[in-house]
Amino acid sequence: MNTTTAERDALYDRLIVERARAPLYAGRLSAPDVQGDGRNPLCGDKTHLDIALDGHHIQDIRHNTRGCAICAAAADLMAEHVRGNTVAQALAVSDRFRAMLVGSPSLPVVEAQPAPLGALEVFAPLQSHKARIRCAELPWIALKEAFSHVDG
Amino acid sequence: MSTHTPTTHAHAQLDVQAIRQQFPILGEKVHDRPLVFLDSAASAQKPNAVIDSMASTMRHQYANIHRGLHWMSERTTEAYEGVRDLVADFLNAPSREEIVFTRNSTEAINLVAHSFGALLKPGQAVLISQMEHHANLVPWQMLRDRAGIDLRVAPITDDGDLDMDAYKALLADGKVALVSITHMSNVLGTITPAKQIADIAHAAGALVLFDGSQSVVHHKTDVQELGADFYTFTGHKLYGPTGIGVLWARRDLLEQMPPFLGGGDMISTVTFERSTWANIPHKFEAGTPAIVETIGLGAAIDWVSKIGFDAIAAHEAELTAHALTRLATVPGLSIVGRPRVRGGVVSFTMADVHPHDIATLLDRNGIAIRAGHHCAEPLMRRLDLSATARASFGIYTQKEEIDVLADTLVRIRDFFV
Repeated sequence: MNTTTAERDALYDRLIVERARAPLYAGRLSAPDVQGDGRNPLCGDKTHLDIALDGHHIQDIRHNTRGCAICAAAADLMAEHVRGNTVAQALAVSDRFRAMLVGSPSLPVVEAQPAPLGALEVFAPLQSHKARIRCAELPWIALKEAFSHVDG
Repeated sequence: MSTHTPTTHAHAQLDVQAIRQQFPILGEKVHDRPLVFLDSAASAQKPNAVIDSMASTMRHQYANIHRGLHWMSERTTEAYEGVRDLVADFLNAPSREEIVFTRNSTEAINLVAHSFGALLKPGQAVLISQMEHHANLVPWQMLRDRAGIDLRVAPITDDGDLDMDAYKALLADGKVALVSITHMSNVLGTITPAKQIADIAHAAGALVLFDGSQSVVHHKTDVQELGADFYTFTGHKLYGPTGIGVLWARRDLLEQMPPFLGGGDMISTVTFERSTWANIPHKFEAGTPAIVETIGLGAAIDWVSKIGFDAIAAHEAELTAHALTRLATVPGLSIVGRPRVRGGVVSFTMADVHPHDIATLLDRNGIAIRAGHHCAEPLMRRLDLSATARASFGIYTQKEEIDVLADTLVRIRDFFV
């Protein structure tokens, strides 16, 4: 497109653009076990999560997001990633995801095997866009809120 | 499009290139691209005249004011108080004592809410509009909650004009003591019919405050001709520094109002039992003020006045018309607000692209705009939007920069759709 294409694409990976435009996990569940909300007062973006649990496993998850491409794609890729995880695994991914965004070399998580981020690594360039980190974090804040109602 | 300046006079033509030479920052690059600065409504860039005057003050002629008995203090006091004369002249205020220096327009409105608000009785009301910046909303909510007054909100039309019939109706019961309305919307660009607003308010027994933060930059302001009772503006949007704003108010009002902040400089006599207040405007200027910034504001007013508002208004009207035409050609783009009279601020949204993504991608191309709710969340709700992108123009903006904006927006949309 022009000389800045590489830079632009570094932030707005094709996967982010696609998931923002055509999310795979958008919508509501008919009978969620827990729900979570995230709202960014600075920009008005918001996301709602419906989560169905099977014991401590996330059986299914849907999000309803109104926000920028970064926020919408983060919600969709988060749902994809944590589906099938235990609550504890999902929270470990959340910590690791945050550590990646802020560029933190040390993780506050005490575990032998760090949770792999997989496709969530497309958000790594946000490290150099501090003002947009909160966009990608919003769904994870909603996830933590949802799990705050779950024991252990 | 109609504007406050009906014609462009040949003699009022701006030499934009010569003006740009006076703004060192416009030579900077962002992400290896020439800076295209379209965010002057948030804060304008500063010309050498302002930068040099502030640096020179600190280098050659600086001391605290109003209290020193030495040469440096006397000279600095003269420079500081000289700006009060300049501001009085700038607003065509009847007297220099009616000019109160504040930190910004927000503080000026807070001063009025506190000190004029202290004169209000429960049951009286303050009337604002749906298109106010939080600065002209939150102080009145705080006053309402503390003093038991009513806060009324005049609606706007879908085009972004004040709904004058509804405005009149809200004044009909005679309970409104003060109308506090923007002179130019920072989101919609609307220049409100201030004279008409003031006449209607006065006929209903209300006083009127205009928040001139956006408007003083674009055209000549005459508080007497407008029929204002209070007028506020801020220095940093007028090519001056941050940290200095202005409240103008009619002398009789300032004299009735109790002080805002207490401290040095605002007193006449002080004992442990009680204090008496200094005369206006000093009654409202507690503590050491922003001396250097005030002198910088004076330099900005001098600089703008030399160029003249005929030329500035004509230039900005031309830019705004060009922007509305060019942006209309961008697929999926909607202009937010079609007010009858507007200044150099254009908000827009794009189908399928969030304003924050627009702003980030424009930034990667060196183009600075604002995106978000623009400190006007209730207005966003009225418009049924969570955010807009906003381009705003200043004295140094070139038509070519608007072309770059429009072309880049087309590419951004291609990227997302």
